[in-house]
Amino acid sequence: MDTVLRVDSIVTRFGRNQVHDGVSFCVGRGEVVALIGGSGTGKSVLLKEAIGLLRPTAGRIELLGQDLAAADEAQMNDLRRRFGVLFQDGALFSSLSVAENIAVPFREHTRVPEPLIAPLVGFKLSLVGLTPDTGAKAPAQLSGGMRKRVALARALALEPELLFLDEPTSGLDPIGARAFDALIRALADSLGLTVFMVTHDLDTLWSIIDRTIALAGGKVIADGPVGAVAASDNPWLKDYFSARAAHGGRDGT
Amino acid sequence: MEPSVSSPIQLASEASVDVLYLQGSWRLDRASTIADAVAALPLRPDRACVLDGSRLQELDTAAGFLLFHHLDEAGYAAAAIGTRRMNEHHARLLRLVHERMRCAPVPAPLSSPNAVQRIGKATLRMLRDLAEHNGFVGQVALELAALLKRPGLFRPKETVSQFESATVDAIPIVVLVTFLIGVVFAYLLGVQAQRYGATIFVVDGVGLAVCRELSPILVAVIVAGRSGAAFTAQIGSMKVQEEIDAISTLGLSPIQVLVIPRLVALAIGLPMLVFVGDVAGVAGGLLISTAQLGISTTAFVSRLHATLDLSAVIIGLAKAPVFALFIAMIACRMGMSVPRDARSVGEHTTATVVQSVVWVIVLDAVFAVILQALDI
Repeated sequence: MDTVLRVDSIVTRFGRNQVHDGVSFCVGRGEVVALIGGSGTGKSVLLKEAIGLLRPTAGRIELLGQDLAAADEAQMNDLRRRFGVLFQDGALFSSLSVAENIAVPFREHTRVPEPLIAPLVGFKLSLVGLTPDTGAKAPAQLSGGMRKRVALARALALEPELLFLDEPTSGLDPIGARAFDALIRALADSLGLTVFMVTHDLDTLWSIIDRTIALAGGKVIADGPVGAVAASDNPWLKDYFSARAAHGGRDGT
Repeated sequence: MEPSVSSPIQLASEASVDVLYLQGSWRLDRASTIADAVAALPLRPDRACVLDGSRLQELDTAAGFLLFHHLDEAGYAAAAIGTRRMNEHHARLLRLVHERMRCAPVPAPLSSPNAVQRIGKATLRMLRDLAEHNGFVGQVALELAALLKRPGLFRPKETVSQFESATVDAIPIVVLVTFLIGVVFAYLLGVQAQRYGATIFVVDGVGLAVCRELSPILVAVIVAGRSGAAFTAQIGSMKVQEEIDAISTLGLSPIQVLVIPRLVALAIGLPMLVFVGDVAGVAGGLLISTAQLGISTTAFVSRLHATLDLSAVIIGLAKAPVFALFIAMIACRMGMSVPRDARSVGEHTTATVVQSVVWVIVLDAVFAVILQALDI
């Protein structure tokens, strides 16, 4: 299996605040990987570093075989067309309609003939489980779950090999969250996508994730299938995974 | 038909079916080539067709969609399209595309409204705005009445802090602008007056113009741009963050907490700023008169004393609270009526500035007409 994302002894410091202290891991092609960790452990920072929005203080990040620190702007742009990002609240352009939002990557980066853009946008909407009439709406008219789906359709527009998701199920109700999980897994399987997500959602971890990487104290404290990570002796991981068990216990009484 | 390697698709007729050989890379970046090649095929929708994947290297959903979209438009029934010699991944991808596109009619293109629709919409919006504004004025009036009954509701701390940011912090820019206007006005007037040897009348002109018209208008416009915009942005972002709802749930009135302190602060502060503007404007006139027109400071002051009616100054100061009321009410209502998305905060802030400035000018004209009729 070839490696899509290789993070090698990353150190990140903001002023005197040390966020990462030697973080290393790999993501292989076709894997669905989750990054977990408490608040302030630098998960989102790591995600931003992996997509080239932030630069680590030291260390090396290789994305799709390209060293990010060595990439010039043109190489970065080529790279950006090969991965998609789903931001936490969707980050849809509020001045454009849903259809126009999804059409942006087609118009900017491809030479799809103009008359085919509208059908293609309709297809992308149905790919993420939305009806094409959603296309005429403004992002402000959508519910949280629909916004995320539209953002996913936009992230998938350029047929990326790799998809980054920042807390994909946060702000969704449990039913919507599970449906979104199922959608991501189905797309990952049928499109052969590699997925790297930051998440807090235990249900997501148990249901669709191949491998879990846990971050604490600036280091990777666990890396493996979710079952193995959950069985870890680390106190934080124990607390984290028992949170659900505790809920279950209260509900049961 | 001669085989061409570069073409992404090739048609071959076999006994009962047409075979479409998908060739090479079927990816989004070759979309236009693929679309052209597919469109050029001599398709016969009455025969069944088979997609052959033996020469296919890469495939993505967009390219697959372009193919199915064309076959669909050409009139092929979904069941009449089969696949063969496709690798597992490509076959799965094509199945997904085919399955999803069947429920995907083309989204209706967004209709852009014509001129009549636009005028109609704008008219309705204006009427609704007017109605909402009246409602808001009524609400504020009721809250003010409640305040008279229970003075304890008044929030001195919030009022003082709004007064500071709207008035005290605005002094430097007010002084700068009115001083420069005094300079420019005295200079232009001086050039004309010098021709008739009547330079002393520049003092009359500057004093009257600055105190009665220029200072109130300029200060009101500055405040509309500075504090009006700030009020809308502050209240609007509170609305977006649901802070207004939180205020209501805590049993407080958002109007008492947010609107009235701003209203009072501006109504007290604007006349003070106008006075500062009067002084700075006259000082600007003084500078030009002494430097350019040869009028001594003593002569300037005694002429000003003799000719500038107190009523002119008072009229200027009296307009200010009215301007302040309009600016504060427009700004607060615009902030309160922000819907729950971040973009409208910007739109409403712009609307506040435009509406406030227009209203200031309109009110000034109304004042001029009334005062003329009253012969003041």
